[in-house]
Amino acid sequence: MKSYCQSFVLGAVITIGLLTSAQAALPIQQLDSYKGTKAYLVQTQSLPMLDIEISIDAGSRYDPASKAGLASLTGELLNKGIRSSTSNLTEAQIADQIADLGADISVGVTGERALIRIRCLSRPDVRDRAVQLARLILSSPSYESTVLNREKQRISAGLLEAETKPDFVLDRRFRKAVYGDYPLGNAMTVKSIANLSTLELKQFHQQFYRSDRVTVSMVGDVSQSEAQEIVKTLVQDLPQRGSVIPSLPELARSPVENLSEREITIPFDSQQAHIVMGMTAIARNNPDYFPLIVGNYALGGGGFVSRLMNEVREKRGLAYSVFSYFAPGQETGIFQAGLQTKNDQASMALDVMTETIAQFIAKGPTQSELDAAKANLINGFPLRIDNNRKLLDNVSSIAWNGLPLNTLDTWTEQVNAVTREQVESAFKKYLAMDRMKIIVLGAKQ
Amino acid sequence: MRQSLQLLFFGFWLISQLALGASTQSTEDTHEYLLSNGLKLIIKEDHRAPTVAHMVWYRAGSIDEFNGRTGVAHVLEHMMFKGTDEVKSGEFSRLVAAEGGRENAFTSRDYTAFFQQVEKSKLSKVIQLEADRMVNLNFDDADFAKEIQVVMEERRLRTEDNPDSLLNESLMATAFMSSPYRHPIIGWMNDLINMKANDARQWYQNWYAPNNATVIITGDVDPDKTYQLVEKYYGGIRAHELPVRKPQLEPDQKGVKQVHVKAPADSAQLVMAWKVPRLQPDNINNDEPYALELLAAVLDGYDNARLNRTLVKQARLADNVEAQYDMISRGPALFIVGVDLAKGKTIAQAETGIRQALAEVADKGVLDSELKRIQTRLLANQVYKRDSIFGQAMEIGGFEMAGFSWKDLNTVQERMQKITPAQVQAVAKKYLIDSTLTIAILDPQARQSAKAGVQK
Repeated sequence: MKSYCQSFVLGAVITIGLLTSAQAALPIQQLDSYKGTKAYLVQTQSLPMLDIEISIDAGSRYDPASKAGLASLTGELLNKGIRSSTSNLTEAQIADQIADLGADISVGVTGERALIRIRCLSRPDVRDRAVQLARLILSSPSYESTVLNREKQRISAGLLEAETKPDFVLDRRFRKAVYGDYPLGNAMTVKSIANLSTLELKQFHQQFYRSDRVTVSMVGDVSQSEAQEIVKTLVQDLPQRGSVIPSLPELARSPVENLSEREITIPFDSQQAHIVMGMTAIARNNPDYFPLIVGNYALGGGGFVSRLMNEVREKRGLAYSVFSYFAPGQETGIFQAGLQTKNDQASMALDVMTETIAQFIAKGPTQSELDAAKANLINGFPLRIDNNRKLLDNVSSIAWNGLPLNTLDTWTEQVNAVTREQVESAFKKYLAMDRMKIIVLGAKQ
Repeated sequence: MRQSLQLLFFGFWLISQLALGASTQSTEDTHEYLLSNGLKLIIKEDHRAPTVAHMVWYRAGSIDEFNGRTGVAHVLEHMMFKGTDEVKSGEFSRLVAAEGGRENAFTSRDYTAFFQQVEKSKLSKVIQLEADRMVNLNFDDADFAKEIQVVMEERRLRTEDNPDSLLNESLMATAFMSSPYRHPIIGWMNDLINMKANDARQWYQNWYAPNNATVIITGDVDPDKTYQLVEKYYGGIRAHELPVRKPQLEPDQKGVKQVHVKAPADSAQLVMAWKVPRLQPDNINNDEPYALELLAAVLDGYDNARLNRTLVKQARLADNVEAQYDMISRGPALFIVGVDLAKGKTIAQAETGIRQALAEVADKGVLDSELKRIQTRLLANQVYKRDSIFGQAMEIGGFEMAGFSWKDLNTVQERMQKITPAQVQAVAKKYLIDSTLTIAILDPQARQSAKAGVQK
């Protein structure tokens, strides 16, 4: 390993732009599918490095009802021990090898997917070793009971700690309220992970980590044929098919309810009250995506210039942070708005937030708000794609959500085409005040 | 920034990453200018994408504050968005947003900085706006009255309801008797309650001057044209004399100090902090700070580094560990080791575990392979960091504010590669000693409302 050291020294770096012009991104190449794995590449040659993201359709949404945390632990333990026909590596050996390569290989699990992210130098000797290691991490985790027991202890301690924190308690209750019986409503608890066994992790891995459930996105200094080989290597040890995976239930739209049914108060002796409001919304491929994100910029997404920021912070000094956003995924995601304020201002702040959002749903943005939103999003588009990391995020979103490959090329046109009426009708179509779940956490005044 | 980089944790990490990421900068792509009013301008070309980061850094942070007015540097950072003679309150952000820009600001112990990221044709506009508020800030008392409430909410959010922050606040206030590093960047709550608009105005008049500022521009720019733009908008601002900065050197510590903090939490925490040297601009060939940086990385620089391996995975004394050191700063440096205790373990057991891990280094040294691993990582970081023009501007700014030059980045990186295992062992032995040690303990308390509040 020592030999890698000396040879990293940089020479002059060839400069080839990431963008062909201010508004056009580099093309996304769709590689040949291999064993059912879809793969996408953006070639950037200006830095001798490569970013790879492996998405596996194995997120927390597949957790069985009584076993919340199974998908997370299956993913989190991928890099904590390897056993295959050719390699046995302890977690310490894996960590040392990654470090010796000067690479990053991280694992994580979201609601929809498990993720392995690799960042390494593009020099073939380093790159190939990083890819081989990632292959083993993806396909041959050993799931040892000592490691599982330790991680369960650490996660349990983290959960107990989190239960003393206002933001965590608020968010967990909010998700339960919005997702209801849908699997993502069941957050992992000390109890739900207590009895998980290595056998269950192995079974989950076998069932869900299949090549036809994998998507690979790559950005960096690699040729198309090299990229194709990388994909083959990464998934070569995975089974292509397996037992039928039952389809997920539909996430039902947040129902119309009386305020007393929708609003939940959590007593909590923090100095600030934390307030959140929201409901089910849309998937990323929804045709109303653009009217909603343009509108949300004006409502609560646009940094220091949104309506919520203006009403809550600028005019009244009620909060440091106030926001709203849509979180669309492959499946229906949520809309959420929130703030934190000292306890004796909680009801005033909630009133201002409620009134602001209600007004926006009822009447939409003003023409000048819409123009300002479009100006920011369009003029700022180059900032969304000006480095490898950001490009990878975009490619990954396009690949995962099944969006057209020219999404980045038409992005500004789509924003520009949004009208005030479209925003107003899209907000009315997907959001409604009598469906909003409201959680207020704080000390009683 | 209007979310201040919270000192210890956020700020510290960021800066220590920057220090570790120091690089070979060719002078072919980096250009330095000094305007006649004392403003320093550093331009780093990067033509990969048609975007630019524009930052102005003022050498005025909480280290320059006086007791009774703590937090004023950060409060003024907020007030900088509240209007000038030409640009009315709140307009600054609206105008940057209209250009498609992303903007924010942050305050640390050492400096206050403001930035915009924009498509390159918009650079002129943001330079004009930023230059305007360097000299023409003019906010009214009503705006101050509202914004100080926002800052108090920020303090409640980040500190009052956050046991990690409370512990760090007490750690710093205990470790330092005289150095202004003992005060939190966001300020003590009572000082915020009693702060007046004129305190913020006075701060502005004292420190916001071209001769106390560095402008850093990275991205797809032509250096000559960019220099002309900066000269056009910032060049006319007059320099003025800055207040005298007293050294306020911390007296030598004469023995172990300890502080206990009770706060709502579940796990106990133990933090041990030693006073150690930092890198001095007039002595960047001193190997000790570099060796301390590498010591921190050997302890906690990768997944299988010593503290995680021994305390979390083997002995199960802790659930999380952390080692921090930042050799680049204006004020005194601490070498910090902190742990979240595992269930059923005592503070005494955790302290013994930490001391054993450190004694292992001091007595037996570190392996050649361990150190090479860290040094390999540093070299790879030289490539990775170039992916972000914003990160490169941050790196230059942190260096410049601490009294170094961007030209030193190269030297720092080279020296980091030459440190030997014996040098790492030597600094562990020499500096991690009880006479300069401060121990902070978080004693977790149940929340009064927690049982009723948590819904399973």
